[in-house]
Formats: sequence, structure tokens, C-alpha cells
Amino acid sequence: MSHDVIMPALGMAQETGLIVAWLKAPGDAVKTGDPLMEVETDKATMEVEAQADGYLTGIRAQAGENVPVGEVVAQISESQEETAQAPAPPPEADAEAPPAPEGATEIPEGAQIIMPALGMAQDTGHLTAWHKAPGDAVSAEDILLEVETDKSAVEVPAGQSGYIAALLAEPGEDVPVGNVIAVISTQKPDAPLMRGATAAPAPKPKAASPSPAPDAPAKAREPASATSTQPSPQGRILASPKMRHQAKLEGLDLARLVEAGVPQPYHMADLEQLRSLADPAPRAAATHPQAAALHLSAELPADGLRDFLSWIETETGAPPEIPAVLAGLAAGALGPDGASGSVVAVERFGRRVGRRRAWPGWRKRIGRGGRTLRP
Amino acid sequence: MREITLSKAVNEAIAEEMRRDPSIFLMGEDVAEAGTPFKVLSGLVEEFGTERIIDTPISEPGFMGLAVGAAMTGSRPIVDLMFGDFLFLVMDQLCNQAAKTHYMSGGKLSVPLVLRTNMGATRRSAAQHSQSLHALVAHIPGLKVAMPSSAYEAKGLMKTAIRDNSPVVIFEDKLMYNDKAPVPEEEYLIPFGEAAVLREGSDITLVGTSSMVQVALAAAETLAAEGISAEVIDPRTIVPLDEETILTSVRKTSRAMVIDEGHQSYGVSAEIASRITEKAFYYLDAPVVRMGAMDVPVPFSPALEDITVPTAEGVAAMARHLVRGEARDVA
Repeated sequence: MSHDVIMPALGMAQETGLIVAWLKAPGDAVKTGDPLMEVETDKATMEVEAQADGYLTGIRAQAGENVPVGEVVAQISESQEETAQAPAPPPEADAEAPPAPEGATEIPEGAQIIMPALGMAQDTGHLTAWHKAPGDAVSAEDILLEVETDKSAVEVPAGQSGYIAALLAEPGEDVPVGNVIAVISTQKPDAPLMRGATAAPAPKPKAASPSPAPDAPAKAREPASATSTQPSPQGRILASPKMRHQAKLEGLDLARLVEAGVPQPYHMADLEQLRSLADPAPRAAATHPQAAALHLSAELPADGLRDFLSWIETETGAPPEIPAVLAGLAAGALGPDGASGSVVAVERFGRRVGRRRAWPGWRKRIGRGGRTLRP
Repeated sequence: MREITLSKAVNEAIAEEMRRDPSIFLMGEDVAEAGTPFKVLSGLVEEFGTERIIDTPISEPGFMGLAVGAAMTGSRPIVDLMFGDFLFLVMDQLCNQAAKTHYMSGGKLSVPLVLRTNMGATRRSAAQHSQSLHALVAHIPGLKVAMPSSAYEAKGLMKTAIRDNSPVVIFEDKLMYNDKAPVPEEEYLIPFGEAAVLREGSDITLVGTSSMVQVALAAAETLAAEGISAEVIDPRTIVPLDEETILTSVRKTSRAMVIDEGHQSYGVSAEIASRITEKAFYYLDAPVVRMGAMDVPVPFSPALEDITVPTAEGVAAMARHLVRGEARDVA
């Protein structure tokens, strides 16, 4: 059994540590508490102590190297020979996807020990060292592990007496608070389990099944596919809020300005030009380029509308726009089915009399009628 | 009407109020014989004595806390904070105690204190004595914040502040102490939450605070010569803020700029601009533009310091841009 020596986090926001010097040579015997190496952070230089007894082997980082926090830099082995063949370093393993429930080993029976919450807003605990090995006997007060949070390093007692049946996280690993990290059994286990970071994530105490929930990856993919079907907004005409609002009030289409080659964005200064570009009938046709599906012409007696128009004038106080009134009547006559989604435009009103359109005079008469009707 | 300096106007306001109400006292560093580094309070100690014009040691958190306690127990203290930058030293006393006591005591206690301090750069005072930190206190509910832009406003707002039963922070612009303005002999008060329309116009609204009011007025003058009519509004107090006067103006002009000497990011200019955008959106014919101090510690180098704060030329150039409808950061 060998013990990994990792680069510890000595500061709150430390990402790497510089190994200034190794204080032990490869093969040296070390005891727990012996200074192993000197590490420099941006704040201080500290001696890092051995967390286990044994021999220093498998040094992976030399003096002068900057090593990411949590990375294995050496091992403390039971013999001088047990070198080099170190297990895959945890960072690489971390980079791989979590699934692959390797071996799908059953978690042994026993009391489950979880990663404790040591701070108010702590999500994970950084396991720095196990103080017990699988199969070891422990009493409740024994220090089982050492956890580092962003504030401090804390030695955590076992809390249960018995035997280490399983250790489910590796030194150097960040374990979510509440995840099972060890099992302590009452009987000495036949095959104590040591699981590394490559294994499936340890289940929460209640979830008995060691395999991860199968629908989790599918759920994660969902939002991505949803966004891909979303059409991207494009072709929006740039105009000031006031101009856009005014154009809408007047029923003007800002696209006329685009077609006329007026540079965007549009402001109130462009309103006059927009008004001049759009007269009612062609506008209606242009916004519905499929053009008229139905042409209607009707002949009615000249005074057929007069009373109605006069009534509108008395109600509103202004002479009505005759084409607009006709369009409204026509739309109504087309009924709910015929009028839905259709645009009714009056292309011509009145009859030519000689070279002059009849309707201006007609409108005069209507106006007169309106006045006479007023009380 | 007579013209007096802003410095004299503040002095008069405090003296008049202290004569009227014996529960008012003033304390701070170098306020008695020295009359403050800017000589604003000269002569007060002669009239009111060292019992009511109190020189303190260099101990801002201490005397600020003392003032909060005195205010809770019946006095009406005026605290003189030599530089606005020292606000950072009194944050707990001001923001956690003074601002909240009335609310946390269920209205049983009031904290009628005035914290008078200053703001403004371009005095070659370097980064720790040149800040304009009014946004910091304006963010804390329970505090009122006044920002006079002239001797007339300084006097009227100071008198209102002293009579207010809430804690009031009043910021004076360091560069303005010697600026003269017409100030009536007779007593007057300027109510809080009433903006002043200092110049009427139809093309763009320039909202300026404190030191930036003069900048806005100068810019409006330049613009007028080019046929652009700018309206200049001085909110006078940013808490409470007279939103309606600003919105009415913007609905008329359809364009607005907010000029404030605090750092541009996360500041008072952003708050006012945001309210305009929220409440007058459909009247806007141009983006609402903030102009504040650059987001850098104020440099000591005069050449550099001068370019960190908004200038009349800069304001006029931006206003021209907006009125002409030239695309800016769009398309």
C-alpha cells in the first residue's frame, strides 16, 4: 500500500505550488510529520509534511517545477523498491468522462461515511489524505481523513468504530458534500475496497444503486437541441423606439425606407420621408405581396351612404375617410372566414365624370349633409 | 441680489440653523480654529464655541459612531468628513447603523444627522482624495443624498438637510467652493426631491449633478450656437430623485444624456439613464448616454487627470452625435 503525496492548497485562491526543494531523497525512510518538501506560493514558503510512514518513492515533480494543486508529486511506499509504477495520476483521470462504472463493485455493508460540510457555503471538500487504509481497524475518535476547504484543512474523525471496508475517494479528489466516501464495517472485511477517481461517483446515502441515473445525460442534451431549432432573429430593421412607435401608429412600414436605400438606424428625422414613400393602397398590397385575391366592384346610389357617413361625422366630429369606411364595410361583408388574415383595400372610389373624378364633389355634398343633420 | 461663494453659503446655512436650534452641533477634523482645509467653517467656533464646534482626533469611525448615537438621543449633529474618500472609513456607522436604526426600531428612533463631505477631481489631489462616491451611499436605503451645484443650492439644501429627521449625506464639489452665485439675504429652503430646470431646450435633455451641472450648461451654450437646443436639469438630490421632471423633459426632447462625476460604471448616471429607458422608452429617438469619470483611479498627473472627467466639449460632441441620429454602437 502506497500513499500519494499531493501538492497541497496552502492559500485561498492557489492554483499551483512551486516546489522549492525536496527535503528527502528518493528511497529515504520518512515518518508521518517529517518535512518532505518546501513549497512556495505567491504568499509564503512552507514545508509540507509527510502524511504517512514509509519510503519516499516515485518522485514525479522536481525542484523548480510549478505543480497544480491536488496533483500527485510523489508516493510514500512500504518498501524502497515499490517505485515508479504509480497509478494513473488523478488529474488525467478527472479529465475523462465520469461514467464507465468500472467493475461495478458492490459497496460493502457497513456504516457509510459522507463528505462533511465544514463551511457555510461549501459545495465540495478536497480530500488531502486518508489516515487509514482499507482493512484497518478504526475507533470512532480516530482521524480518518484530512479535508481541505477554501478556508482551512480539517482532520475528520471516523465517527464509527469498526474496520475500513471501503475508501471511495482518492487523495486529491474534490468530493461533493454528502457523497459517501468510506464504509466502516463491524466485521473485518475479506476484500476491502479502494476506489479511485476513475470509478463511478459514489452514490448518495439513500441511492442504493451504484450506477448513475441513466436519464441524466439525455436530460443534459435536451436544452442544446431546443436552442438549435430556434430560428435566429435576423433582418430586424434598426430604428429608435420613438420612430418605431410612431410608424406603427401611422401604419407605416419601415421596410419602405430600407427599400429606398435610406441608411439605418431610423429616427424621427426619417418620418417625413417614410410618409412620402408610402400611400395607403400600394402599402397594403406591398405588405401582402400575393396581391389581391378578390376584386369586388359595387354600384350603389350616391346617397346610399350619406346618412351613415353623416352619422360618423357627428359621432367623431370629423368627416370620415370614405375609402376607409368602405374597406371596413367590405371586410365585414366578407364575413369572419373571408376576412380573416385578408387585407381589404379600396382601389378606386367613385366614377369618372368626364375628366374629373366624381367623389370630391360627392364628398362635399356629404359634408353639407353632415352639417345639416347636426342639431 | 448679492453674490456669495459656495463656501460662504454653506457657512451661513450652518450658522443660521445653529442659532435657531441649540441641539445642533458640528464635529470633525480641523473644523474649529482651522475652519476646515477649504475654510468653509471659518468663524463658527468664535460664535458657537468649542462645545458646539468640536475638533476631533483623526478618528472617522469613532466620531461618526458618536454622531449616530447623539442623533438617536436627541441631538442634531453635523459631521464634517474632510474628504469624500474617507466615507470608506465610516461605512458601518453610516450604512449599517444610521441608515437602518429608524426602520429596525420600528420608528421609535430617528437619526437626524447630516454628513457633509465633498467630491470631485482635477485638484491634483491624487487617487485617494479625488473620488466622487455619492453612488455608494445613494445605494443604501435610509440615507438621503443631496448634491448642490451652486452657492444658492448649497445653502438651501444644507438648511433642509439639517431639519430633516433622516440621515442626509451632502456632497459639495471641492472645485466649487469659491464659485459665486446670487443668494438671497432672506431665509429660504430648497425641498428635497425637486429638480431644477436650469435651461429649457427641445432637442436633448442633459441631466447633470453637482460639478457636472456647469459642464452641462457650458455644453448647452456651445450647442445653441449650432442650432441644437439642449435642456439642462439638475436633480439637486439624487435620493429622493425627482423622476417626473426628468421624464417630462425627455418625453419632450426624445433624447437624454446623464452626466455625473462618479465613475461611469455602476453609478448614478447609470441609474438615472436606466429609469429614463424604462419609463420613457417609446419617446426615445436615440440611446440614453451616460457620461461619468473614467473607470480608473484618478491619476495624479494633471495631463491625465483632466481627461478622466467629462468636459463640456465631450458632452457637446456626444449630444451633437445623438441629435443628428448618427449610428452609435448599433448595426
